[in-house]
Amino acid sequence: MNNSRERNKNSFDLSVNITSDENRTLRLKNPLITASGTCGNGKELADFYDINKLGAFITKGITVKPQKGNQTPRIAETASGIINSIGLENPGVEEFIAEVLPEAEEYELPVFANISGYSEEDFFFLADKLKNCSELSGIEINLSCPNIKGGGMVFGTEAEKVFQITQKVREIYSGYIIVKLTPNITDITETALAAEKAGADAVAMINTLSAMKIDINQQKPLLANKFGGLSGPAVKPVAVKMVYQSFEKLNIPIIGLGGITSGEDVIEFMLAGASAVGIGTINMIDPEAGLRILREIKDYLARQDIKELSSIIGAAH
Amino acid sequence: MFEILSNKRVGPKIYHLVLSYEQLPQNPEPGQFFNIKVAKKSSSDPLLRRPFSLFDFDEADKKIEFVYRVVGRGTEILSESKTGEKLDVLGPLGNPFSLKDRKGLVHLIGGGMGIAPLYYLSKKLRNSIQKVFLGAGTYEELEFFSKKFKGLDLDVHLAAMEEKLEIKGSALVLWLNYLQQETPNFVYSCGPEKMLAAVEKECLKNNIGGELSVEKRMGCGIGVCLSCSCQSKNEENKNKRACVEGPVFGMGEVVIGE
Repeated sequence: MNNSRERNKNSFDLSVNITSDENRTLRLKNPLITASGTCGNGKELADFYDINKLGAFITKGITVKPQKGNQTPRIAETASGIINSIGLENPGVEEFIAEVLPEAEEYELPVFANISGYSEEDFFFLADKLKNCSELSGIEINLSCPNIKGGGMVFGTEAEKVFQITQKVREIYSGYIIVKLTPNITDITETALAAEKAGADAVAMINTLSAMKIDINQQKPLLANKFGGLSGPAVKPVAVKMVYQSFEKLNIPIIGLGGITSGEDVIEFMLAGASAVGIGTINMIDPEAGLRILREIKDYLARQDIKELSSIIGAAH
Repeated sequence: MFEILSNKRVGPKIYHLVLSYEQLPQNPEPGQFFNIKVAKKSSSDPLLRRPFSLFDFDEADKKIEFVYRVVGRGTEILSESKTGEKLDVLGPLGNPFSLKDRKGLVHLIGGGMGIAPLYYLSKKLRNSIQKVFLGAGTYEELEFFSKKFKGLDLDVHLAAMEEKLEIKGSALVLWLNYLQQETPNFVYSCGPEKMLAAVEKECLKNNIGGELSVEKRMGCGIGVCLSCSCQSKNEENKNKRACVEGPVFGMGEVVIGE
């Protein structure tokens, strides 16, 4: 590749502004955000590339107390997808603040903590614990984990609950708030609007689709937990449609995710209305995917002769 | 990229894969694994890579070798791959067997495809007296391994479930017989979980040090997805990842066979 072409590539503006309240402005140098739970806490991927090249980092989901997660097997492969039932294995918020956050301070990109709860109070407790953590640019409220009993996803399937929890977290936490939504619902725009009304800065969609796989030789469910969440390329069309629908009703930015494996996929989500995107499952297969996807986005912009990536947000409408 | 030098059937559904490489991040050690993408270029199906334990490594000729059994779609696709084809391979990954200038009598116990990682280990254990116990369903499944180990001039003992070799039974039963006559200084084992659990129990009971290589369903192989978590035996509420802290664990380090 010659130098002039290289210079050309660097002249593209990949930055995206995901500000919805002037008190909490947030501009990302590019739209790629690590999806919670697919990049550990950053250290693991650092063996493969400099994660500071991404737009933002979202940590593995944390809970009030340490969690061992579900029994194994916790992962099943399906056509162009995987079903996981990890069950939020994490060291709990105390260890997160003591051990994980100090490492995050060295990152030169915005870091978000993903918080999960077994009760509404858990979310409030976690928001309170994290409210003075200067290492964080914000938090992502996980109202959509399908893998914990009596919790997570049930909070995200009723608009009224999404509103109540988000509003209370908003009162406690003054930083940037992302609400991560479940696709296991009739109309995602209802929960998305509820999050917006309650003061969320952005919504992230979609979390995994509730799913299962049966081992036909054992004649039993493959996952120890029976059910899990489907992710990977198999879910992408579902996610794109939900982003597209939500874009027509929402004023706050949408972080689109679900099965992104390439720059073309990112473009598709942004055309549907996503201001930024999450990359998840692909990190498990190609640890360097983030870098490749950035190159592919630039290739697309070059082909289409587009200077500013943000100009395509919602352009398919 | 890695190029397939050969991919030959060496037993019932068992294949010996030899790859050449241009460069590796570092030389692999016995017990480590590589994560191989089996899907054809640009296909997202099968989505995940497949982990394979290192069978042999040759730095001078820049070759890495694996022995695998066809158990599902991924390994079936791999078994159809031809000489000259390129493969996307990640690794070496995981925690290796410790060698530490190991001396004295060492027992290696391998069951089924769990035999594969013991071969390169055996080549590296130069200062010890090795005894190798291998077991599988049939002799056909053992033949390739048996020849390779015997090629190292080692004391090799074989067991199969369906044929009368040294005994009719598993590698475990075979080994337990020898354990009554002699006590090794160290044990290395890889194979089915039940076998590993029994080996561990005997070693802990008789105060024999050792290491086990466990097989767990993996997602990423690099420590991010937490699919392969093993419960720590000593620390409550702590898990260890088979792909990073393992696949080789010390005796009594993680809960096995429950």
